[in-house]
Amino acid sequence: MLIDKRSQPNWTLFVFALLLSGYGLLAIYSATNSSDNPDIRDNLTSQIIWICVGLALGLVISYLSLNIVFSVAYFPYVSLVVLLAILAFVPSSNGVNRWFQVGPFHLQPSELMKPALVLALARFISDRNRSPNKLKTLFFTFLFVLLPFILVLKQPDLGTSLTYLAIVIPMLYWRGLSTFIIFAICTPIITFVASFHFWTFFVIIVLTSLILIWSKRGTLVFWVLFVLNISVGIFAPVFWNSLHEYQKQRILTFLGLISDPQGVGYQIIQSKVAIGSGGIIGKGFLHGTQTQLRFLPAQHTDFIFSVLAEEWGFIGAIVVLLTFFLFLRKAVEIGSSTKNMFAGVLIMGIMTVFAFQLFVNVGMTLGIMPVTGIPLPFISYGGSAMITNMLMVGILANKSVTLST
Amino acid sequence: MVPLEKKNIYSAALIILFAILLTKLFHLQIYEWGKYLQYSEKNRIRQVRLLPTRGLIYDRHGYVLVDNTPSYSVSVFPFEYLKNDSSQEKIADLVGVHKDIIDSKIRQSTSPFLAVRVASNISFDTLVKIQERSLELPWIIINVEPTRMYSGDIFASHLFGYLGEISRAELKSRQEYGLVQGDYVGKKGIEKFYDDELRGKAGHSYVEVDALGREVGTVQVDRETQPEPGADIYLTIDLELQKLAEKLFEKKSGGVVLLDVRTGGVLVLCSKPDYNPEIFTQKISNEIWRSLVNSPQKVLYDRMIQSEYPPGSTFKLVLAAAGLETRQCNISETTDCQGYINLGIHTFHCWNTSGHGQVDFLDAIKRSCNVYFYRMSLKVDVDDWARHSRLFGFGQPTGIDLVGESSGNVPDRAYLNAEHGENGWGKGMLFNLAIGQGELLVTPIQMAQFAMILANKGLYVQPHLLHRFYYMHLKEFRYHQPLRKQIQNISQNTWQVLQKGMIMAVNESGGTGLAASLPYVSIAGKTGTAENPHGEAHAWFIGFGPAQNPQVAICVLVENGGSGGAQAAPIAREIFDKYFEIENRKQSFTIITDDTDAKI
Repeated sequence: MLIDKRSQPNWTLFVFALLLSGYGLLAIYSATNSSDNPDIRDNLTSQIIWICVGLALGLVISYLSLNIVFSVAYFPYVSLVVLLAILAFVPSSNGVNRWFQVGPFHLQPSELMKPALVLALARFISDRNRSPNKLKTLFFTFLFVLLPFILVLKQPDLGTSLTYLAIVIPMLYWRGLSTFIIFAICTPIITFVASFHFWTFFVIIVLTSLILIWSKRGTLVFWVLFVLNISVGIFAPVFWNSLHEYQKQRILTFLGLISDPQGVGYQIIQSKVAIGSGGIIGKGFLHGTQTQLRFLPAQHTDFIFSVLAEEWGFIGAIVVLLTFFLFLRKAVEIGSSTKNMFAGVLIMGIMTVFAFQLFVNVGMTLGIMPVTGIPLPFISYGGSAMITNMLMVGILANKSVTLST
Repeated sequence: MVPLEKKNIYSAALIILFAILLTKLFHLQIYEWGKYLQYSEKNRIRQVRLLPTRGLIYDRHGYVLVDNTPSYSVSVFPFEYLKNDSSQEKIADLVGVHKDIIDSKIRQSTSPFLAVRVASNISFDTLVKIQERSLELPWIIINVEPTRMYSGDIFASHLFGYLGEISRAELKSRQEYGLVQGDYVGKKGIEKFYDDELRGKAGHSYVEVDALGREVGTVQVDRETQPEPGADIYLTIDLELQKLAEKLFEKKSGGVVLLDVRTGGVLVLCSKPDYNPEIFTQKISNEIWRSLVNSPQKVLYDRMIQSEYPPGSTFKLVLAAAGLETRQCNISETTDCQGYINLGIHTFHCWNTSGHGQVDFLDAIKRSCNVYFYRMSLKVDVDDWARHSRLFGFGQPTGIDLVGESSGNVPDRAYLNAEHGENGWGKGMLFNLAIGQGELLVTPIQMAQFAMILANKGLYVQPHLLHRFYYMHLKEFRYHQPLRKQIQNISQNTWQVLQKGMIMAVNESGGTGLAASLPYVSIAGKTGTAENPHGEAHAWFIGFGPAQNPQVAICVLVENGGSGGAQAAPIAREIFDKYFEIENRKQSFTIITDDTDAKI
C-alpha cells in the first residue's frame, strides 16, 4: 500500500527545518534589502516559495511507505547520473555547466544527487548478502560514488563532489564496516599529506605500524599496508616535485590552500571581521555594517552565516548551531532506533550530508576551512538546495521509519 | 549493545565538530571582538596587490637584453571614488584622463576596495601634482610599476614581443593564474610564449584605512602573501651576431635565422623591417598603433616565422634527395643543358639562358641548373617528393617557442587534384615545384631547420630560443631540453652527396654560392632566387659551416632582393665570418660559457 496509515511523521524534524529556514529568511532579507539590483531584492520572495514547495514535497516523502522508497531507490540515482552526464558533455557558453533551465527555475542536478546517492548506496550496502568488509562491496560502493563525483568535479564544483565522498564511511560504518578497514583506508591519505615533512612522516609510519601489529591481522595484511604506506610516502613528494609550478598552483588553489585570484583571502578577512565585530549580542537586525555595506562576498548564499553572526552576535550564532545540533541529534536517534538496516544506513547518510555541509560552510566563514562553495543547509539562498534539503527532511521524518523501531 | 555503542560514536563526532566551531566562534566574537569591531566601524580594510617583478631576458652569454625600469601609475579606490562625486572631475583633470574612461574602469572593478589603475606611465609633473593633493585625496594612490627597458643594441622586436594590458578574453581563459583586470601580460613573441614563467605571482597585503581613506596601519590578520618574482630567461640568441644581422638588413626587407646545429638553439632571429620595442612601453596612441598595423611593409609581421615564400632553387635539394632515395636518379647521370626545355607547346627556361652544357648530378646542384631538375621531376613521383619535403620539416610548423608560426604549404597529388581538378595540372606544374616555385610555400625558419638537418646528416633538433630559466626564489637554473630525432629512411650516401653539392656550390668556381665563401673555413650552401609576381625575385641562401664539422646553419632571405647568389650569399658570409671570429676569441681566452645544452 502506498501510504502507511498507522502512524505520523516525525514532526520535530520539520519544526527544526522550518526554524532554520526562518533564520535564513531573516538573514537573506538583511543581506539583500539594500541592494540596488531588484532581482537580488526579489530573492526573499523566491526563497519563501522554495521553502513552501520543498515542504510540500518533503511531506509527501514523509508519508511514503518504506517499501516504496526501497523499491525505487536506484531510480533517482540513475536518472541524475544521466542528467549530469548531459551537462558534462554539452558545451556551455561560460565554461560552467551546473543547471538545467526548467521554466524560470534553474534545476541543479548535483544538489538532488546528494539524497539520490545516499538512497542508492543505502539499498546497495544494506543488502543482507553483501558484507561491508568484502573487497567487492567496497569496490562497487566506490564506483557508485566515483561516477557522480567525477561528473560534478568536472563542472567544476569541488564542494558538492566532496559532499558525495563524505557520506561513504559513515554509511558503511553503520552497516558494520570494521574500524580496521576505516583505518586502512585513511592511513595512505594521512601518509600522503605527512610525507612532505620527514619527521611527521616517520612518526606516522611508526604509529601506523604499531596499530597494525596491535590489530593482529596477520603478517600479509601488515606488510601490504606497510609497503603501501611507505611507497605513498616516497612517491608523493616525487610526484609533487615532477609537476610544473603552474600545475602545483592550480592544485593548491583548487583545494583552497592558497589564496586564489578572486581574492579569497580578502573574502575570508571580511567574513571574519563581520563575525568578530558581532560580539556577544550582535549589532542588531539590519544593523550589520559589514552586511549593509556589502563588504561580504556572496553574503546571501555561501557567506550567510557571517550575516547572522554579525547581526545577532554570539548568542544568535549559538541559537543557529544549537538548532542544527538538535536536528542532527534527532536524526541520529531515529537512525539508531530503527531495526531496518536500509532505513538506518539511509538516515545516517542523510544526517552526514547535513553535518558535512554545515561544518564546511560555517568553518569557511570562520576561516578554518577552505573556500569550496558549499551552502549552509536551509539558511543559504538557493532553490535546488532548499528543495533537496526539504526532501531529505522528508526522508528523515518518514513515518514508516519511525514505525520500524 | 553494539548499535548503542555506534550511536554514541556518531553523537560524539557531532559534538566534536560543534565544539570546534564554537571554539573558533568564541575566539572571534568574544576574545578578539574589540579588534574586529574597530575594523568594521572606524576603519576599513583594503587589499593591496604586491606586484611581482617580471623576469629579465638575457642572451646566451648573460648580456641583459630586456630589463625593468620603474614607472609611475595612478590607481583609485572605487569605494571612495563613487562616494565623492564632486572630486571626480578634478581627478580626471589631475591625471589627464577623460572622466568617462575612469568611470568605465571603475565600473569593471571586482571589488570596491581593490584599487583600479586609471593611468600608467605618468609624467613627473603629474606625479608631483597628485602628491601635493595627497592629504585631500588619500584614496588616489601612486604605484611604482616596472616597465620594460631594452638594451638598445638590438631591436629584435618580433623576438621579444611586447606587453599589454590583459584583455577580457584573456582574463576569462586564464583565471587560475591569478590575473586581474589591469595586469600586464605578454602579447607577442617570447613575452607571450613564456608569459607564465616571466610574470611571477602577485602577493597581497591588507592595510587598514580610516574613514577618509588614509592608511592607518597594516592589518594583523593572517593570509598576507609575498609576491614571487618571475623567472629570468636566458635565450640562445647571441647579442653580437644579432646586432650584426640587424645592421646588415638595415635598409632591406627579409631576415636571417642562424641555428646552432648541435643544440637547435637559435643564435640569430632577425626580421626586417621592424620597430623599436620601446614604443610599447609607453601608452601607445591609436595613431601609432594604426600606423604599425597598416604599414605597407607590415612591420608587426615576423617574416622569419609567419611569412610564407616560395623557396626557389634551394628546394632543388629536396628533389635531389627524393630522386636518390627512390632510386629514380643516380649520381652519374648527365644532361645537356641548352638553356631551355620544351614541353608540348611550352618552353621552360634555365636561369642561365645560354645553357650549362653537360651537367651531372653534383654540377646541377653546384650551378643550380633548372633543366637538370626539370628532367628529374619527370621521373620522381610528386607524392614521393612531397613525402620527402615533409620528412625535412616542410608543411608543418617547426614548433619554435614563439606564437603565430605558419606551416607553409607542400602540394601533393591530392592537393593538386583538389585545387586544379584531376586533369587540370600537368608536368609544367611539376617543373615549377622542382625549382621551388608554384604553390610550394615555406617559412625562413623551416629553411634554416632544413639547413640544420642537412648539416647534421639527418639529426633533427627542434629550433628553440629558450636556453634556460633562472628562478630567483629557488636560486635554481632549469635548462631547456629540445626534442631530438634522427630522420629515418635517408641513406648516409644521400646526405653525403647533398653536402658535397653544397660545398661545391660555395667553394668551386662556377658555383652559385661563391659569394658566401670564406678563406679560412669551408662553407656549404645553396642559393635560391624565387620569382614572385609582386616584383623583384626573393633572394635566398641556406647553408652551414664548417662543412666538415658543422656548428651553425643559416637561412638568409632578402625580400625582392634579386638573385640569391648576389644578394643573400654575401650576407651569409658576413654572419659566418662574425660567428667564427667570436668562436676563435672564445677559444683564445678559454672563456667558460654555459653551453650546457651542447653537451646533452
